[in-house]
Amino acid sequence: MAETYPHKEVIEKTSIYLPEVATLREKRPMTPFDTYFSFELRDHSLGHRPGQFAEISIPGIGEAPISVSSPPATDNRFEMVIRKVGTVTSAIHSLEVGEKVGVRGPYGTSFPMEALKGSSLLFICGGIGLVPARSAIKYALEHRDDYKNISILFGCKDPAQRLFVDELEQWKQRDDIVFYETVDTTDLSTYLEMSHMDLSYRGPVDEWKSKKWKDNVGVITTLFPKLDYVDPRETYAIVVGPPVMYKFAIMNLHDMELSDDHIILSLERRMKCGVGKCGHCQIEDIYVCQDGPVFYYNDISYIKGVI
Amino acid sequence: MKIQKILLGDKMEKILQKKTLPDWVNKLKNYQIIAPVQNENHWDFQILSDPSRIKLDYKNTILSPKKFIFPQREVFFRFRSDEQSSYDLQENLPEEKPAVIFGVRPCDARALTLMDKVFGGDMQDPYYWKRRNATILIGLGCNHPPSENCFCTSVNGSPFSREGLDIMLTEMGDTYFVESISKKGEQLIRQAEALFKNPKEADKSEKKQLKSRAEKEISRKIPNIKNIPSKLETMFDSDFWNEESLSCIRCGICTYLCPTCHCFDINDEIKSNFPIEGERVRTWDNCQFPDFTMHSSGHNPRPDRAARLRQRILHKFQYFVKLYQTYQCTGCGRCVSQCPVGIDIIEILNKVDAR
Repeated sequence: MAETYPHKEVIEKTSIYLPEVATLREKRPMTPFDTYFSFELRDHSLGHRPGQFAEISIPGIGEAPISVSSPPATDNRFEMVIRKVGTVTSAIHSLEVGEKVGVRGPYGTSFPMEALKGSSLLFICGGIGLVPARSAIKYALEHRDDYKNISILFGCKDPAQRLFVDELEQWKQRDDIVFYETVDTTDLSTYLEMSHMDLSYRGPVDEWKSKKWKDNVGVITTLFPKLDYVDPRETYAIVVGPPVMYKFAIMNLHDMELSDDHIILSLERRMKCGVGKCGHCQIEDIYVCQDGPVFYYNDISYIKGVI
Repeated sequence: MKIQKILLGDKMEKILQKKTLPDWVNKLKNYQIIAPVQNENHWDFQILSDPSRIKLDYKNTILSPKKFIFPQREVFFRFRSDEQSSYDLQENLPEEKPAVIFGVRPCDARALTLMDKVFGGDMQDPYYWKRRNATILIGLGCNHPPSENCFCTSVNGSPFSREGLDIMLTEMGDTYFVESISKKGEQLIRQAEALFKNPKEADKSEKKQLKSRAEKEISRKIPNIKNIPSKLETMFDSDFWNEESLSCIRCGICTYLCPTCHCFDINDEIKSNFPIEGERVRTWDNCQFPDFTMHSSGHNPRPDRAARLRQRILHKFQYFVKLYQTYQCTGCGRCVSQCPVGIDIIEILNKVDAR
């Protein structure tokens, strides 16, 4: 069963709380809140698998668990897209290229890309959920021949919050995958009202003020009817999004007759230690940081309050 | 028996005059001596500056000795970072002298064996284990329940449980009946062998009687504890948690005093802004605080006090049982005695059973 279960690696280090040092090599804003970062470790690769996370820290500010958004790499680089929401993520946003961060990880389970070989993949990504999913999407596209159909559904709040816009455009152009996206609303007036908020980047807001959104409008589940027949026996859904999305996405997948063991999701909980000790991310008898964040839904559907 | 002998050595049974306890302690020069010390109206475990003033005539301490293995605040590492974007880390593994803790109540020693499960496993916590392995625990059996809220016998414990202890002391008049439980304990007795006498048959039978009498004196009980984990499984959505938690003022004293609670937070504390110098620090944290599970987006999977009380009870009596086949509670009664609004875990579990 080890093959088919989300991967978990036993990490051998002297202190599980001591970070390594990585250097910020590239940084560019993506949305009003989210910025892309590329970090480089000194002498080895992070060694992560798609869906895993790492604890990023700034000395004097603290640590935060962040999903890795690049696919597994052989070089020392890894990418993250970080939303500016708390003290640590704000401090990371203020870093300049060449500055250092602490890195612990990678931690947690990953999307079982090996076990999914030969199957069709249906990615359902809401908002910033695209960040961990992108690691798996890029992996699947790099190994395109290993999978049957690949479909990607992406929904976010409004056009200014779209992530990896260049890649979205490429996915849209490809004829060997299916890609649909939607926005909840095209109304950008909230940003104009949010003058009190410290937006890290106004670019896409200004862009979409003058440009008209011509693609779909509506929550992500409105994209499901656009899909051709999805064979529930050979398709695995990979679902990553905000807490509110899971319930509705799973309802739709059940309507498509996908069983719970064909639904793979990545859960979000407040985490602190990343190594299953501190108790913050506990849901019943599971620790999201160690037993997750990636789960087959049938393994956790018994848990009340899990989604 | 032979294997047991190799592992544990000869189990020693000795008699020590109470008045010679300080003499024994004085022989243990290579150790820090920790024991209960009276502070105004309560007793608390402290490192003795003058070990010869050791006195074990307390009932129970306000906090368990957990804090010497898993301190309320501890430094993981020190960091220094200057403008040239260097980032120097200096690990801070515990280097304290080995310690002997005298007067550990059996429930508190058992509690450490439960903490061992959390801090062990695939991801060993080096800070915890360095202290744990350098600490010898000398228990003091409970001839009478130290608190009116003791309920160790309901959670597989006993006033004379040996789990987690290296030596057990039983108070008998002017003497202690001393039993070695581990090899470490045996060596500690051998360091002052002349102080100890061999027990007579009468001493042994007196000790046995004390034990059975002590168990009978425990008045608070959860008679059907075995049914609790499966009952709790059906009660996640029950309004019961709302009713039981109405009076909670989320002060968190229940988990703060708990000898088995292990949740913690990790934060940076700085001493200088330029260059940035400071420490990454672990501190006890508390599942009864609203921000314990709050995401930075504002979403909170455990949004109210009902959900938080439920978490405390279900963690101890359902989730931990599923993970480790034992309750995460040793029946010390501190959370019951010290709750300012009278939330009583024994009463709650008996109500669960009655449903």
